[in-house]
Amino acid sequence: MTTNRRVAVTSPQTRLAHARRRHRGRWRPATLDPADAERAVRLYRAQRTRSALALALLFALVFGLPVLLAAFPALDELRLLGIPVSWIAVAVLPFPAMVTLAWWQLRRAERTEDAEGPG
Amino acid sequence: MITAFAVAPVVLVTLLIGLRGVAAMRTTSDFLVASRRVSPLLNSAAVSGEYLSAASFLGVAGLVVKDGIGALWYPVGFTAGYIAMLALVAAPMRRSGALTVPDFAEARLASPALRKLAAVVVLVISGLYLVPQFRTAGLVLSVVGEQPYWVGVVIAGAAVSITLVLGGMRAATYVQAFQFFFKLLLFIVPAVWLLTQVGPQVRTEALHPVEFTHFERDTAVTFRVPVTLEVPPGAALREPDGTIRPLPEGEWQVPGGRTVVFPAGSPAPDLAGEAAPGGPGWERPLLDLAETGYPLLGTLSVLAATMLGTMGLPHVLMRFHTSPDGRAARRTAVLTVALLSVFYLFPWIYGVLGRVLVPHLYLSGATDTAVVALPAQVDTGAWGTFFTGLLTAGAFAAFLATSLGLVLVASGAISHDLVPGGLRQLRVAVVGAAAVVVLLALPAFRFDAGTLVTWGFTVAAATFCPLLVLGIWWRGLTVPGAISGVATGLIASTGAFTLTLLDPPVGGWVAILLAQPALWAVPLAFAVMTVVSLFGRPPPWAAAAMLRLHLDENRRSLIADRQAVARDLGHSSWSARRSSAVRRITRRLVR
Repeated sequence: MTTNRRVAVTSPQTRLAHARRRHRGRWRPATLDPADAERAVRLYRAQRTRSALALALLFALVFGLPVLLAAFPALDELRLLGIPVSWIAVAVLPFPAMVTLAWWQLRRAERTEDAEGPG
Repeated sequence: MITAFAVAPVVLVTLLIGLRGVAAMRTTSDFLVASRRVSPLLNSAAVSGEYLSAASFLGVAGLVVKDGIGALWYPVGFTAGYIAMLALVAAPMRRSGALTVPDFAEARLASPALRKLAAVVVLVISGLYLVPQFRTAGLVLSVVGEQPYWVGVVIAGAAVSITLVLGGMRAATYVQAFQFFFKLLLFIVPAVWLLTQVGPQVRTEALHPVEFTHFERDTAVTFRVPVTLEVPPGAALREPDGTIRPLPEGEWQVPGGRTVVFPAGSPAPDLAGEAAPGGPGWERPLLDLAETGYPLLGTLSVLAATMLGTMGLPHVLMRFHTSPDGRAARRTAVLTVALLSVFYLFPWIYGVLGRVLVPHLYLSGATDTAVVALPAQVDTGAWGTFFTGLLTAGAFAAFLATSLGLVLVASGAISHDLVPGGLRQLRVAVVGAAAVVVLLALPAFRFDAGTLVTWGFTVAAATFCPLLVLGIWWRGLTVPGAISGVATGLIASTGAFTLTLLDPPVGGWVAILLAQPALWAVPLAFAVMTVVSLFGRPPPWAAAAMLRLHLDENRRSLIADRQAVARDLGHSSWSARRSSAVRRITRRLVR
């Protein structure tokens, strides 16, 4: 009799999918391992400082440039290769500046994580 | 004819690439985030491909024709958003392990109510964003190929839903990454060709803008919606039999659906309530929204909306979840900034050439089609047709790539967050969402792509931006605070748009703050979220839930670690001790 028992055969992926669906519902965010908590706090603080600086520079660039262009209408008359300087300041200049800023912020963020060492 | 040659290959390639994703699709995670196995370069190309929508490919150049050089602040805001995302959101968001933004809200704050509210916000944003995509698809096909408006809308809806139903996010990733490079090529090559073809006189005129006052050649203008024109003395129109009939001076109500041919040399009528392209202030690099006379305020509010909105766009955030880890998510953001920057160096070329060659488009409100209308103005022969075809194909790729991501995120919100279900339900939701958007897009053809998309950005900026920034960087955020902040932002931004549509009798800076409310709605949402949270107490696990987002994956594996230290795994007191230890440490350290 025991040999006739039926067993459901499912692939690991299917089982995972079913489990995930059943897990839905009320839950509490997972807690931290105590060994990781201090490291997480150090990372959080370091990244907060660095992000704030990068964000301040970004705001200065993006919101400062229109204010600058509004304050100096003479830039419309000034021409570089026949193109008004104020047009270049909107259409071309911000993009290399933003790529540089993004690259700089990425390097600082990754260095912070590397400096903390692997655990 | 031209439609078949330009659009059919794009739709076909989209479907074919989409089929590649079919093989490995079993779970919701496969469907929504491609099982998180996408490399930064592929992912950033997909993010950029998804992001360069109708508003970027056609809308920016169209806005330059209509509103002037100041419209070029839109791409600056679009790109700057990714730096804010890189600094504040990308890595922690990925480390939350969530699948969608509502998922993240629940992972951080454990509130099903907040999750439902976030899902509703996702639907509002994707609706505001999707309708203009489909609408522009219909408009472009009707301009280029003389098809009725609804044909383009239905083609777009069908192609998007079939690709997604079959392949999900994996299919979308390949399609969008391919379409980014495709669009880049189809945008740069015609731009260079146009610049070499137009000749020195047009190039000089483009750099020294003058007001559009008279027609340089016989010009046919098709009015799709009824408009009111101010006819100056001396204006005339050409009858179908070739005779020239003078127009009576004064107001002229043009009914919708009429094509009027203005003869060469006739003075151009003015559109009531709009300044003509090239008029005073057109060449100023500031955006005078609705001609209210506060260009700096208008520019700053558009920048705030686009920059902060990018950070909260649900379909972009979902793309970040396809990265394998937080570090890859960050790199994706940086590469995206670079790829977008290359693309955004070109819209102004189309804009200033459009000012010289197709300024009459502003009369009928069809400036969105300036990009595809340009080649025919420069070369009436085969090359002109060829480049029109290229640009139409690129524009169609733009609608498809963006719509793929948006329909996916909308159906995810319905089927993963509002009414949780499995893969089959997700697929049904995709078809349903696409059908609803097609129905919404059919009567929406009078709205500018730029306007509606910017409204979508504003809603995202006023709801998800504060939720993400405070959720990731402030442990004091409480569930009532988050819910009231998101609700405030949603009501404030959508309320302002509704008021704008009713056209209230206000002017000056009030009109700008109503039409573009980001500048006050975002700080308001932040303030409400903070103040309400300060009145409550965050749950004891809040600090640990926040810190978990900042812990990098670059550490020893958790399981190996536990075995090595041989802590009392399985001991009944372990879990209690662990959580109290975390609480003690975090209480001491996070201040």
